[in-house]
Order: sequence, then structure tokens, then C-alpha cells
Amino acid sequence: MIVPEGILCSKSHEYLLEDSESVYTVGLTDYAVEQLGDIVFVELPEVGSVFEKGEVFATVESVKAASEIYMPAGGKIVEVNEKIVESPEILNESPYEEGWLVKIENPDAHAESGDLLEYSDYKEELE
Amino acid sequence: MGKRTVFYNKHIELGAKMVEFGGWDMPVQYTSIIEEHKTVRNSAGLFDVSHMGQFFIGGKQSLDFLQSLVPQDISKLKISKAEYCQLPNDNGGLIDDLIIYCLEENLYLVIANAANIDKDFDWLKSNTDGFDVTLDNKSEEYSMLALQGPCSSAIVRKIGIAEALQPHFFTIKKFGMDSINGYIARTGYTGEDGFEFIIKNEYALMLWEKLIEAGKEYGLKPIGLGARDTLRLEAALMLYGNDLTDKTTPVEAGLKWSLSVDKTQNYHGKEVIVNQIKNGADKKLIGFVMTERAIPRHEYEIYFDGHKTGFVSSGGYSPTLDKNIGMGYVDTKDNITLDATIEIMVRNKLYKAKVVKRPFVTKKYKIS
Repeated sequence: MIVPEGILCSKSHEYLLEDSESVYTVGLTDYAVEQLGDIVFVELPEVGSVFEKGEVFATVESVKAASEIYMPAGGKIVEVNEKIVESPEILNESPYEEGWLVKIENPDAHAESGDLLEYSDYKEELE
Repeated sequence: MGKRTVFYNKHIELGAKMVEFGGWDMPVQYTSIIEEHKTVRNSAGLFDVSHMGQFFIGGKQSLDFLQSLVPQDISKLKISKAEYCQLPNDNGGLIDDLIIYCLEENLYLVIANAANIDKDFDWLKSNTDGFDVTLDNKSEEYSMLALQGPCSSAIVRKIGIAEALQPHFFTIKKFGMDSINGYIARTGYTGEDGFEFIIKNEYALMLWEKLIEAGKEYGLKPIGLGARDTLRLEAALMLYGNDLTDKTTPVEAGLKWSLSVDKTQNYHGKEVIVNQIKNGADKKLIGFVMTERAIPRHEYEIYFDGHKTGFVSSGGYSPTLDKNIGMGYVDTKDNITLDATIEIMVRNKLYKAKVVKRPFVTKKYKIS
């Protein structure tokens, strides 16, 4: 597994990755999917819906339990990963490449990401 | 931090993810719940179930004592046989569900759920008045291993117990090999053929190693509580705390098959239970498969015909069926029958489900 350079991680284990100017990919960290175990269900928001930072925008269910997923930065949903709805196990297999959750648009996302951690710091916090 | 079984270090060494369950630190999974689930269905799995309780009940009136406690007719339980029993309170609600083994005349072994050991034992103790009976809570001294799956019998043969000497379905035997001795029973909680070993703590690790070694060629793997739950749910076996509580009776839980309806002796809760057998109960347990995409979970609400009719007692993803399944209690007045459409409230939205027969996956016991 390759962790993409430049991801920013939240304390609730979502990541934010800048795709292009003002468009960001949101997903779950490798630590999150490892802790959840086998993921068997994903519910994603509608394209076009708008969420604040910290709002619940998706639900991921493992065999054991349902978990709410929070926005690491606010924004408008511009794309959702339909593939993981059909095959939720992709989240376990490839959290950063195939298994991303949504793409958001927000020119100010970077400004909102002050409390997010770089991956190395995030990993350190977990220890 | 919870209590630890003698296998605690073994679980850690194997890289298990540990969780608290019924006051114990137990492995929820070693690799993946789905993988472990399939291992048990396809070959065999080994479970540490040492958190469960063992009571030995002896004395001249041990039979009469048990008769006063459970709705099953224990006088019909022959030596070496096992029976699935419940422990009702005076309202017919359940203190626990149990397996009772008749080890010999006037000696019974009772297996209790981990979280209920103290509660059960207190209940037993408080009901000994007038009985010549001895109660021995040996839960701390005994460990328990469950070997479950289609290859179980072959693995037991390989550790030295020939097929002809293995206990038949729902019976128990003493066994001894090398320096290990204890009980071996053909019981379990997965819907598969399999065995449960009840042994003193000092033999437990040795037996684990022996089984793992013998099971290698069959693909035997250690299995955590996560898969234990998905396996028992597919087999529609009751989980105390979810499907059974002190507010549910055996009749409501669909356990009428396990009751001795003609039992003459009095027992706690008999009035309510007999009345429900005769006149029916206000709620009943059903099984269902989701027909819309959602996972039912414990305590979610069940709707029928636009109104709330009950709640989900157990639910989740079925690895064998690749479907989402559940069990729950519904209002008997709604007359919900097989193939009926119900709805489950998941995160404030209703999703359709179809009522189906239980078990969800056919049991594969070796009944000979």
C-alpha cells in the first residue's frame, strides 16, 4: 500500500487529498479501515449536496458495526465512488487509490484544514 | 481491563484484535471475520470459549433441583446426553440460556454465558432450599475450546479419538490422552458439526497446540468472536442479551421446540410459560432477509403496514448468503407470516425485508 504524498488526516481518521485546485478527494485512512475490519456496506451522499466541516456525510458498515464518516473539510460533493457501493471490500484493499469515498469542491478547503495532521504526525499520534 | 482466559497471550501472539465481551478480553478476529467465518463453514475453526461458565451440580436431589429451575424435563436426560435449556425467572423472562449435560447419576454440568455466570450462580444458590444438592462454580478452573466445522471429526480422530469413540450429536464423554484429560461434547454454536472440550486450565494450552497441529492439513484456523456471532446468526441460534433477555420468554423467542410441554413438576416461570404455550404470546421472534440495501442491527425498529411492530434483536451481514439478515420481535396481532414484507428503520429511513424461515443457513449436524 502506498500512502499518497500530501494527505491530511483528521482525528476521526478521514483523509483529505488535493486533486486539483479546489477539488479534494476524501477517504478513510489505512488505520481506519484496518480497525473497522471487513467493510460490507457503504452509503454515500448525493452529488451536489453540501456539507460543513465535521458533518456526517457517509456511513460505512463493517461486519461488526456501523460507523459515521465526518467531513475533514466543508464542501460540495462533486463525485462519489460508485464502485465501493457495489464492492465495499475495495475500501479494505485500497483505501487511498481505488477505495476513496467522495470528491469535494471548495476553494477554501485548505484554509479549513488547519487542525488536520500530516500522515507522519497522524501515525505518531496513533502510537 | 477485562478478565483473561489462559489463552490470552496466545491470542496476542497470533495478532488477534481484542475486545471486551461479558467482562472478558477476548479475540474478536485474528485476520478477518468473513475469512474466519468461511473457514468454519468450509473446513474447521478453533474457538477459545473459556469465558463461558461451568457449574457442577451434584447431590441426591440434583435432578429435582434442576427440575425446579428449567422448563425442560431433565428426568428424561439420560447419562452422557446434553440438552438446550433456559433459566426463567418467575415471570417467564430469561435469566440465561444454558446447556445441561448429565455426566452421571446425580451429577450435571451446566454451561452458562460468560456475562451471566455470577447472576446465574446466585439464582441457583438462592433456590437450593429444601434440596439435598451441591453447587460448584468451577468457571475459574476450567477452560473451554470449541472445534467447529465439517473437518472437526477428522481432526479429533487425528489427535487420537477414533470416530467410533467420539461422542454423538448432543452427547458428552470423558476423554484422556497423553497427560490431558477432560470432557469432549458434540455441541457448538455455529450450526456445523463440531466439538466442545471442557478441560482444566492446566491442560488447555496443550490441547490447543495439539488441535492446531492436527488441524493443519485440514486448514484449521483460530476463530474470533466476530465470526462466532455471524455463524450463530446464520444458524439462528439465540444470543443472550440480544435475542433473549429477562423480558422475553422461551415461547416468545420461538423456543417452544425446546420446552417439555407436558412436564408435571413445577418450575420458576411455569405459569406464564404454560399459559403462553396454550394461548400464545403478545410478541414473537421472526427471521428476515433484507430485500433493500441496508444492514439491520440490534435494537433497530421493525415496521409493518406503516406502523411500528417491534425491534431487531440480532442482525448483520451473512457471509454465506452474501445478504443482510436479522431476527426480531414483532407484535403477534400483526399476524406477520412467512414471505410477508416488513420494514426496518435504518438511520431514519425504512428499508424492506422479507420474513423467512429460520435457520438462514441449513445446519449440518452429524445426527447418527
